[in-house]
Amino acid sequence: MSENLKLLAVFDELNPAALGIKKLHEMGIQDDHINVHSGIPIKAAILGRPNPRTNVPRIGLLGAGLGMCLGLFFIQGIPNLYPLLVGGQSLYPIPPTLIITFEMTMLGLMGFSFIGMLLESRFPSFEAVDYTTEVSDGKIVVFFQCPAELQDQISSALTKAGAQSVKPVEAQNHE
Amino acid sequence: MAVTAKPLPHAPEKAHGKEEEHENFHEHLMLDPKPRAEMNAMAMESMMSTNWKFWVVMVILAATVAYCLFYEWGVLIVDGQGTAGVTRPDYWGVFLVDVVFWIGISHAGTFISAILRVLKIEARRPFTRAAELMTTFGLVQAGISVFLHLGRVWVVYWMVPVPNQRTIWPDFHSPLMWDFMAITTYLLCSTMYLYLPLIPDLAMARDCTTGWRKAFYTVTSLGFRGNEFQWKHLATAMNIFAVAIIPVMFSVHTIVSWDFAMASRPGWSSTVFGPYFVIGALHSGISAVLLVLFLIRSTMKNMHYFLRLEHFDFLGRLSLIISMAWAYFYFNDYIVPWYGGGSVEKRLLDFLANGPEAPLWYLMLFCNIAVPWLILWNKNWRRKPWLMALVGIGINIGMYLERYIIIPVTVTITRSPFISRSYHPDIEIPITIGMFAFFLLLYMGASRLIPLIPVWEVEEGQVAHSLRTVGNTEVVSLSELE
Repeated sequence: MSENLKLLAVFDELNPAALGIKKLHEMGIQDDHINVHSGIPIKAAILGRPNPRTNVPRIGLLGAGLGMCLGLFFIQGIPNLYPLLVGGQSLYPIPPTLIITFEMTMLGLMGFSFIGMLLESRFPSFEAVDYTTEVSDGKIVVFFQCPAELQDQISSALTKAGAQSVKPVEAQNHE
Repeated sequence: MAVTAKPLPHAPEKAHGKEEEHENFHEHLMLDPKPRAEMNAMAMESMMSTNWKFWVVMVILAATVAYCLFYEWGVLIVDGQGTAGVTRPDYWGVFLVDVVFWIGISHAGTFISAILRVLKIEARRPFTRAAELMTTFGLVQAGISVFLHLGRVWVVYWMVPVPNQRTIWPDFHSPLMWDFMAITTYLLCSTMYLYLPLIPDLAMARDCTTGWRKAFYTVTSLGFRGNEFQWKHLATAMNIFAVAIIPVMFSVHTIVSWDFAMASRPGWSSTVFGPYFVIGALHSGISAVLLVLFLIRSTMKNMHYFLRLEHFDFLGRLSLIISMAWAYFYFNDYIVPWYGGGSVEKRLLDFLANGPEAPLWYLMLFCNIAVPWLILWNKNWRRKPWLMALVGIGINIGMYLERYIIIPVTVTITRSPFISRSYHPDIEIPITIGMFAFFLLLYMGASRLIPLIPVWEVEEGQVAHSLRTVGNTEVVSLSELE
C-alpha cells in the first residue's frame, strides 16, 4: 500500500477552488479526504462538497424544552410550594405563565444553541492542527490526502485549475 | 478572495455618462473591494493604534467613573435612598429613567444586527458589531441602574429564584419579576450573539498579532480555523440567534413598559405602552448608533473605508421612519386620555403643557419630532456625518427627556389632590454622568481589544456583490454564498 501525503492547495477565488476540488474528485480523492478552509462561509454546493451535518438546531430545541420546563416550574411550581396570593390573581394565572415561560424558553434555545455550536465545533481546541494563516487572508485552502505517487499529477492539475500553490501540510499550533 | 465584476459577454458599448455612473458604484463599500489581507491590516491598525489623546480621555473617563459612579454609589449605600431626590409621591426617579434609557440604547444592536440580518439588508455589514457592542454595554448600564434603584443591593439575590433567608421565593406574578427575567435573558443572549460572529475575527486577529495579544486572541477564538464544519455550526447558531433574539428584544421593552402600564396611574395605564416603548427604544438606539459611528469614523484609523456616507444615509432614512412611527404612537398615547377628559388625566396633560416642567415637554417634542423631520428628509444632509451625529445627540436628549417625563414628572400627578411635589434629582445627577462615562470607557476599551469591523462579513458581502451589464447599463447583482 502506497504512502499517503497531506497536501494543501491555496486558491484566490471560488471558481478555481471549485474546479480544483472537481479535479481532485476526478483523480479519485474522496470527499472524506478533503477539507476546505475559508475566510468566509461558503455554501457546500458552490464547491461541490457534501453539505456538513449539524446538530446545533436539535441541541437548541432540547434547550428550549428544558427552558420551558424551568419557566413552568418558576411560575406554576413555586406558587404550589409557597402559595402567595397577590393582586387578585389566581395562584396559577395564564398571562404571567406565558411571559415567564416564553423568556425561559428563548434563553434555553439560545443558550443551548451556543453550547451546541461549541460542542459540535469541538471548541475550545488548541492542539496542533492542519492550518495555514492564509485562510485569514481570504484564501480558500483545500487540504487533502493523496497517494504519494499521485502528488506531481495532482499538483499539476490543481495549478492548472488556478491554485496559487500546492504544498505539504505543516501542522500549526495556535499558541 | 478578490471580487470579479465582469460584464456579460457581448455587452453593448457603454452609453453616454456610463463612466460617471460606474464611478458612483465605488461609493458603495460592497462594490469597492480590497484584498482581505489589506482589510485585515486596516482593521488591526485601527484597533492597535492609540495616541496620547486616547489615553488622556481614558484616564478622564476612568476618574469620572470612579468618583461619579462608584464613590457616589457608595455614598448612596451608606446614607440611604434619602440622598437621592426620591420621596413621596416620586419614588421612581432618575435611576429608573436610566434603566429605560439604557435598555432603549441596547435595542440598536439587536435591531441592526438581527433584524437587518434576517431581512438580508446589505448595508448593515460594516457596523453590526459597533451596534452589538452598544447592546451589551448598554445593558450593563441598565443593570447597574436597577441595582441603584433597588437601594439595598446586597440582598439583590432575593430576586433570584433560590431559597433564601426570607423563606419565600420571588413572586413571578409581578411585572418587576418579568422584567428581571426578560433583562437577564436579553443580556445573556445578546452577549452570546455579540460573541458568535466575533469568533472568525478573533481568529483573524490571532493570525495577525504577536505577544500578549496573540495569547488573548488564541484563547478567545477557541481554535477557530474556518473549516466547513465550523462555519456550518457557527452560521446555524447565528441564524438561530438572529431569529430568536428579535422577539426577545420586543419582549424586553414591552415588559419594561408594563412596569408602568400595569399600575393604575394616570399617564401610565395605557394599552399602547408596549409598542410605544419598543419604537422609542429603536428611536434612541438607532440615533445612538449614528453618534457612535461618527465617533468611530472620526477617531479611528482607516474607518473612512469601512464606514461610508451610504451608511449614514441608510441609518438616517431608518431614523426618519422610526421617528414618524414614534410620533404616531405618542399621538395615540396622548389623544385618548385627552379625548376621554378624565379629571386626573386632564390635570396631567395640563401639567405637561403648562406646568413647571413644560419646557422639558416641548424640548422633548422638538428633539424627537422636529429635529429628525426637518433634517433627515434631505439626502445631502443625511450624508454629512457630523450633522447626523448632531441629530443623534438631539434625538437621544429627546428620548431621555421622554423617559424623564413618563417617570418622575408623570408620577407627580396622582389621584390624591393632597399629594403633589415636583421631583428634583440630587445624587442621581453625578451617578448618571458616571454611567455615561462608564459606557464610553467600556466602549473605548473594547475598541482597542476587539475588531469593531466584522471583516469577514464585509468580505462576504463584497464577494457576493458584482456588477452585471443589463441592456445599456450596469446593475448590481447579489449572489447568496451562504
